[in-house]
Amino acid sequence: MEAKHRKILGMSLTAALWLGLTVAAWCRPPAAFSETERRELAQMPALTAEDLESGRFMSDFESYTLDQFPLRDKFRGLKAQVHYRLLSQLDNNGIYFARGHAAKLEYPLQEASLDHALKVFGQVHARYLGDSRIFAALVPDKGYFLARELGYPAMDYGALAEKMEQGMPYASYVNLSELLTIDDYYRTDPHWRQERLLPAAERLCAAMGVPGPGNMTAVPAETPFLGAYSGQAALPLKPDGFRTLQSDWLNRCRVLNYETGEWGEVYDWEKLSGRDPYETFLSGSVSLLRIENPYAETDRELIVFRDSFGSALAPLLCRGYRTVTLVDLRYLSGAMLSRFLDFHGQDVLFLYSTLVLNNSSQLR
Amino acid sequence: MLFSGIPFLYYFLPAVVILYCLMPRKGKNGFLLLASLLFYAWGEPRYVLLMAASIVLFYTYGLAIERSHKKLWLTLSVLTGVLMLGVFKYADFAVENWNRLTGMSVPLLKLALPIGISFYTFQCVSYTVDVYRGQTAAQRSLLRFGTYVAMFPQLIAGPIVRYVDVAGALEDRKTDWEDFSDGMFGFLVGLGKKVLLANPLGQLTEVFRDCGEKSVLFCWLYAVAFTLHIYFDFSGYSDMAIGLGRIFGFRFPKNFDYPYISKSVSEFWRRWHMTLGGWFRDYVYIPMGGNRVGWGRWALNILTVWMLTGLWHGASWNFVAWGLLFAALLLIEKWVPGMSRLPVWLRRGYVLLTVVISFVIFNAGSLGQAGEDLAGMFGLRNLPAVNTVTLYYLRSYAVLLILGVVGATPLVRNLALRMENRLPAAFLRPVVAAALLLVCTAYLVDGSFNPFLYFRF
Repeated sequence: MEAKHRKILGMSLTAALWLGLTVAAWCRPPAAFSETERRELAQMPALTAEDLESGRFMSDFESYTLDQFPLRDKFRGLKAQVHYRLLSQLDNNGIYFARGHAAKLEYPLQEASLDHALKVFGQVHARYLGDSRIFAALVPDKGYFLARELGYPAMDYGALAEKMEQGMPYASYVNLSELLTIDDYYRTDPHWRQERLLPAAERLCAAMGVPGPGNMTAVPAETPFLGAYSGQAALPLKPDGFRTLQSDWLNRCRVLNYETGEWGEVYDWEKLSGRDPYETFLSGSVSLLRIENPYAETDRELIVFRDSFGSALAPLLCRGYRTVTLVDLRYLSGAMLSRFLDFHGQDVLFLYSTLVLNNSSQLR
Repeated sequence: MLFSGIPFLYYFLPAVVILYCLMPRKGKNGFLLLASLLFYAWGEPRYVLLMAASIVLFYTYGLAIERSHKKLWLTLSVLTGVLMLGVFKYADFAVENWNRLTGMSVPLLKLALPIGISFYTFQCVSYTVDVYRGQTAAQRSLLRFGTYVAMFPQLIAGPIVRYVDVAGALEDRKTDWEDFSDGMFGFLVGLGKKVLLANPLGQLTEVFRDCGEKSVLFCWLYAVAFTLHIYFDFSGYSDMAIGLGRIFGFRFPKNFDYPYISKSVSEFWRRWHMTLGGWFRDYVYIPMGGNRVGWGRWALNILTVWMLTGLWHGASWNFVAWGLLFAALLLIEKWVPGMSRLPVWLRRGYVLLTVVISFVIFNAGSLGQAGEDLAGMFGLRNLPAVNTVTLYYLRSYAVLLILGVVGATPLVRNLALRMENRLPAAFLRPVVAAALLLVCTAYLVDGSFNPFLYFRF
């Protein structure tokens, strides 16, 4: 065969591959949700004159083609492999691997974001918390343990803590960072492992003057846990084990979900086999919850302003409190709290991760 | 629409190529024009009319120049081009400077820059000049002329294709399988340059810009990364354009020829954005007298041409400074004797250093920013020599930087040429092409960083 013909034949195969992918892209029925990325996928936008004129149709169509591309997860995996293995890049979409953990580059410290968070907390304090004893604690992200030591860019965690302390003069600061290590976090997820949080819970309870959780049993779940970083990294990762802490007093606690008006348990076992098993803790992202412990050792009440890290920790604070109310200011504006809650001098804990504080635009 | 986007790669291009092949010969130009207008409207729905008006105007000028009052119509056509660029590209720059000088506050026009206006205006002007000079006959068919101006492969970022180069193909052309195969391969190589090298290196430059912890080494890392980024971004686009042209039966001129191996700045400009350099040479420099004048006038010609070259890239003083830097270097090269006798490595080093510094000026948002970046590179900003952030990005991008440096030399091309026509190599080409297609698709599906630098010019 002549060189020219060999060349044409070879390139025809490439053209066939291209055409095959094109046909698949045109004909593939659109999916609604990406399990690996845990998000809704873009759908074919409606064609309107207004959207055409403004260019919005074009940008929405581009999002649609990206989200609905055939074998999307396989392609994302291929990109990750080329990125990490062939080009030796140290992070992919900001996710890096160190000491067996997937972690996200959280860098640099966003001063404006911190200021916004402090402003929101200050408003909540001024409106409702004049009679309360107030405590604050930071949950460091995984970068605190991995980044600086291993040569990854890291935010100035010291400056963040200092700024939080200075910005919340009405709160007593409880240091949890010194009790934690990287092993207290899931390897494939940003969150901490509940079964490793007893020392942190004890310290918080001691600071607030209530009995700590005491002895609890870590019960493994059969479902393997592939965390959020697994999907973002687009690489096959070994799942984490998933355990919940249980005890007699905790098993008797009941949880009111203000969004649905329904009562349930501290652990939402249906979520264990769902999209994000971490949502097993207090049903995941809920704006307002109340845990009631009928067998609490005191009559005191606690309000926790929190993010998702609070879901795993808050149940461990219930032994000493008759009620623990959890408020997520990302989903419920501080200005609206008086519609749902009566503030009468309850203890208050602001428990926030550095991830949320450094990206706090959602706090309202 | 971006060449390096899923909508183009898997929707627009396959549909256009298939329909184009099915189209009878008489309908091919009309179809290509329609497809090109759709391509342009996808990104700039508002400015399609401006381009359509340009097509009609310059088509008319071409015919008028052939008939009578040649000079008048040529002057009008040049003024039209200058006016278009003046209004859409330079008016606010002029007003800003006027306000700064006089303390007045004349309001800005704040018009969005029509994509590719600098490219298609230059093509239109070169057409009327060529008709005036008798180098080509005016195009009688508005459809064919419209196809030439709006042809989507080269519409928005070049190469600047002169009418005389494609006049024959506009009348009659055919694409055989070899053209198609070579065009597709060229396109995929360009896509690889853009997606796998230019985009990640561009991300590194963005990281630098946003980073609060700079160091001297980081400043150099940024400068080198941007130098490679702009080369792969622009030459990648040119490769894609040339490849697409080939698929549709056109031969576009080469736009880059490994400029970073140049041994002098004048050689660099014979290898970098060759169609722009050629345009300024033939339509500005030579009409001004070129080098067949006294040395003072010649220096003025050089300064004018390079100031305009700088301004063509953008309405900002840093682009003017960038152009004037090259003018100064070209004058020095001409006047300082013995430069050509220096060792090759020293001459290449001088060109590279000059080019890196020039692109730092080029990419700065302002002269002040350029000064700050250069001061950082030369240790004049009290920055540490190196820090953790720098080392992280140096480690993370080391392989890409090495690939970029190697890819900017003819090494890979020479290796490929040596292997060509050997049996395994003939099969290597489609494997490389398929791998490029798949890996680029993977990067595009996963990523969002995908701007083309030269779209803004």
